[in-house]
Amino acid sequence: MEYVVSILKKFPLTVFALVILTMPFWFPWIGGYGGLATKIMIWALFALGFDILLGFTGYLSFGHAIFFGVSAYATGLMFKHFSDEIIPAMIVAVIVGTLASVIIGYLTLKKSGIYFSILTLAFGEMLHSSALSTFGGFTGGENGLTLPDMIPSMLGIEMRGEVMFYMTAAVLILGYYIARRISDSPFGLILKAIKSNQERLEYTGIDVQKYKLGAFVISAIYASVAGSLMVVYEPYVGTEYLRWSTSGNLVLMSVMGGVGTLIGPIIGAAFMLYFENVLSVPLGEEWLLVLGLIFMAIVIFLPGGFTDGFKLIYKKLIGKKPDGEEK
Amino acid sequence: MAKKSDISKTISRRSILKAGALGSVAMSAPMFYAKNAWAESAIGNYPIEGDTVMLGFNVPQTGAYADEGADELRAYKLAVTHLNNGGGMLDTFKPSKLTGSGILGKKVDYVVGDTQTKADAARTSARRMIERDKIIMLTGGSSSGIAIAQQYLASEMGIIFMAGLTHSNDTTGKDKRRYGFRHFFNAEMTGIALSPILAETYGKERRAFHLTADYSWGHTQYDAMKRGTEAQGWTTVNNLMTPVGAPDFSQYLTEVLSSDADILVLNHYGKDMVNSLSQAVEFGMRELQKNGKTMEIVVPLFSRLMAQGAGSSKIQGVLGTTNWNWSLQDEGSQAFVKAFEAEYGFPPSMAAHTCYCQTLLYANACEVAGTFYPPEVIKALEGFEFDGMGNGKTLYRAEDHQCFKDILVVKGKSPADKTGEFDLLELVGTTPRETVTYDASIFGGELGPYEPA
Amino acid sequence: MNYLFLQVLTGLQISALYMLIALGLTLIFGTLGVVNFAHGALFMLGAYFAVVISDAFGFSVALVSVPILLFIVGIILERGLIRFFYERSHTDQILVTFGLAIVIGEVLKTIYGANNLPFAKPSWGSGIVKLHEYLPFLEGFVAYPKWRLILVVVSFSTVAALFLLLQFTRFGLIVRAGMRDSQMLAFLGVNITRRFTIVFGIGAVIAAIAGLFGGPITQVEPELGMKLLIPSFLVVVVGGMGSLPGAVLASLLFGMALSFTAKYAEIQQIIIYLLAVVILLVRPRGLMGKKGLME
Repeated sequence: MEYVVSILKKFPLTVFALVILTMPFWFPWIGGYGGLATKIMIWALFALGFDILLGFTGYLSFGHAIFFGVSAYATGLMFKHFSDEIIPAMIVAVIVGTLASVIIGYLTLKKSGIYFSILTLAFGEMLHSSALSTFGGFTGGENGLTLPDMIPSMLGIEMRGEVMFYMTAAVLILGYYIARRISDSPFGLILKAIKSNQERLEYTGIDVQKYKLGAFVISAIYASVAGSLMVVYEPYVGTEYLRWSTSGNLVLMSVMGGVGTLIGPIIGAAFMLYFENVLSVPLGEEWLLVLGLIFMAIVIFLPGGFTDGFKLIYKKLIGKKPDGEEK
Repeated sequence: MAKKSDISKTISRRSILKAGALGSVAMSAPMFYAKNAWAESAIGNYPIEGDTVMLGFNVPQTGAYADEGADELRAYKLAVTHLNNGGGMLDTFKPSKLTGSGILGKKVDYVVGDTQTKADAARTSARRMIERDKIIMLTGGSSSGIAIAQQYLASEMGIIFMAGLTHSNDTTGKDKRRYGFRHFFNAEMTGIALSPILAETYGKERRAFHLTADYSWGHTQYDAMKRGTEAQGWTTVNNLMTPVGAPDFSQYLTEVLSSDADILVLNHYGKDMVNSLSQAVEFGMRELQKNGKTMEIVVPLFSRLMAQGAGSSKIQGVLGTTNWNWSLQDEGSQAFVKAFEAEYGFPPSMAAHTCYCQTLLYANACEVAGTFYPPEVIKALEGFEFDGMGNGKTLYRAEDHQCFKDILVVKGKSPADKTGEFDLLELVGTTPRETVTYDASIFGGELGPYEPA
Repeated sequence: MNYLFLQVLTGLQISALYMLIALGLTLIFGTLGVVNFAHGALFMLGAYFAVVISDAFGFSVALVSVPILLFIVGIILERGLIRFFYERSHTDQILVTFGLAIVIGEVLKTIYGANNLPFAKPSWGSGIVKLHEYLPFLEGFVAYPKWRLILVVVSFSTVAALFLLLQFTRFGLIVRAGMRDSQMLAFLGVNITRRFTIVFGIGAVIAAIAGLFGGPITQVEPELGMKLLIPSFLVVVVGGMGSLPGAVLASLLFGMALSFTAKYAEIQQIIIYLLAVVILLVRPRGLMGKKGLME
């Protein structure tokens, strides 16, 4: 056991990549299936980016569905009107998502606490409502943006099944690598300082606003890539992608997994989607009730989420304290 | 926490297993992505291995339409029982090749998914059933947006989708798909069937104000009702779009009150309709005198579940259309209602009926085609004409996969007239199939190929 | 004239329900510092109790018993769950109460189904009031549902009662002092904990009033709590977290905005979010928020 943990500590990225890349082999054994594996990767990426904002700076955004959704629509519209090549579509989508985040981040990050949360929520719901009615002509409204008989491809290779899975997995591993680098960088340290004491940081003459905006935009870029991949994976854009419940799910995942740990939100995303689509079947109509109870139990007894739970179990198993925090 | 340690145990056990059984693991990998395993004649989950055939029932178990979903699921389970053991409409449905001993000699089994009344969730659970549970046919849905989202997915994956309750023109109109079929009627038919009876009951000199749920179904419903009633000489005063799921409609009703309209048309469904109707009644709109006439409320799409939610004091005398009602006296309806009541103790809803019929229709098409091979099954359904399922002679039109049948116009019963808790709707007329048949090309859309890309 | 009058009345009436829900929300926040996302669920619970009791024993029995029941629920909730979160972050408070809201909604769905329960108004509250008979400036025939006028009266009376309670009673004085500095009060030997429990109970009672009088209008169904929570929360934030007059002002603003934009679907559907964004950008702490709270 100790041996396993020491490997985990020494080669976190390698272990992470191995777990992800071998998913097609082990996931079916626990009732998983291809489509779900890909969707988990996408949401994991979304949650991972969100952790750079929530986990590092402590800013709770209730509007990250904006970037996921806007980028999904951009991708869908590119497929519809331009070509089924994913590279231009994804580039445009990420640019659109990033621009949206710069504007919204600039306007909302001056506020903090609940005011920031509510402002992002309000922006999100505004866009969601407009997608349903005002822009219904572009978005397909409630029916969603449908792309009949179209298979997205990269340089002529059709993006589906295994190819799509490995592409998404590669993006997630890269995303995880970058997030870890950010976490260890001076930039990451300043972000974490914002969470612990923003005022003190301001006295040192650091332009906190700029750093917050940086974190916000980076997390939005992750969200945009995820949103775009979602449409590559399934050529369909639903208005729910923009809805507050998408942002809400993201928050739930992050908290269940463990905020601020990078790996936590990924585990949270995997757990929630797995629960929703596999464990929910034997539970029937009551699955949401059970999920709500699990969620409450985690917030009450395990504020650090699953990652904290693992640490506790580890501590019990080897009978001593794990040495310090993980990197 | 206990769960987590269990998982870590099994994982370590598995990693040992894995080392020992690398060969078999490598074998299982291609199965993970069924699509890559397609041979030339294989489409979706065809060919079926083993001696059971798996159907996927994707119904809302959580969210706004959970009650409809629960009733749909009851009907699906009943259909599976009847397919395997005979009974129900198997005795009345004709021409039928159903034997009561499964489909093509295979025993029928099913899996259930929760659409959560959300399109994205519906697609994910449909994928689970297609990829993991290897269903040959997908069915369900209680909202048009969700049905359309699933219909596209099913078509891409080569799985036949038998739509449940969806009333938007789009499902078999601009979003029609080769792999999607709808037994339920649609907004266009409601417009054609209801308008003449409205004109007959309330007169030709009427001014209508519409409140419309702001999504695709609402839009098509408004459009169809506007055309239908204007052809009868009515004037459309105004239409206001209302957000889906609004708890309060007072601001729109205020506009209606301030207008010179003497008819209020509520293009709402489910809770929206229950809410808007209850509130319109509350605002006194059924007693009001406008232009020398009593103001009336019209609910184009009516269902027994909605009538129950609103209460009979509010729906009495309100006109609308419905796909089917349990009180129908024909053989097919009676057989279904009897079986359903014997199993569950209360009568089925129209959502249950359409889902039950869809399952039988699919099964029969397989028997007719003599194979589960989707293109052949589709051809067997296209242009299929049948009877004995509670709607009289019905045609599955080949051009758009829409069923054409007589449309029922109903009216809410008053509290005094009803004989029981579920006796809420009274039949006032039937508009014949020929009248409601419209040109298949008016909504555009393409069915697409028999074999998916 | 008639038209304008009706629009104003409708706006007032829409804001009445928001006001009742927001009042409890902002009271609990202002005194206990807890962001209670389960407040919508409490309102819904009130509505369910109301419809069930009123069906069985009549509305007058519900009128007396539902506030008592919700007061008890509130006390149990505060003692059993919320008090452990006083020292936790607002994020944790939001999350645990959000989880609670899901659980309450799902339990109600399991018991009563997903469709709505019809809520029959008592006979003294149904029907319409012919306003033109009382207000000479209205022309012709102008009527409005009696129940909605009752809701407006109830709502404003509740606001007045709460103000009086906080301004002119010893209990109110202690609670207000506790909001400023609860530690100091504890040193002075005042049992502030018990009073905070009671405040949470009062918040639940206001939710019960909202359920009793709002339920017959909105219908009673398991998603009702969530549907009203977000607008009510916007009301609280736009009004300024913890400010009672702010909540009143913001709900009036939202109600009027929703009423006057009814004709324009594109604006109507985003108007409250648009207002929230604009107001919060111009006035960072909402209309009447205090500095330093929730930032």
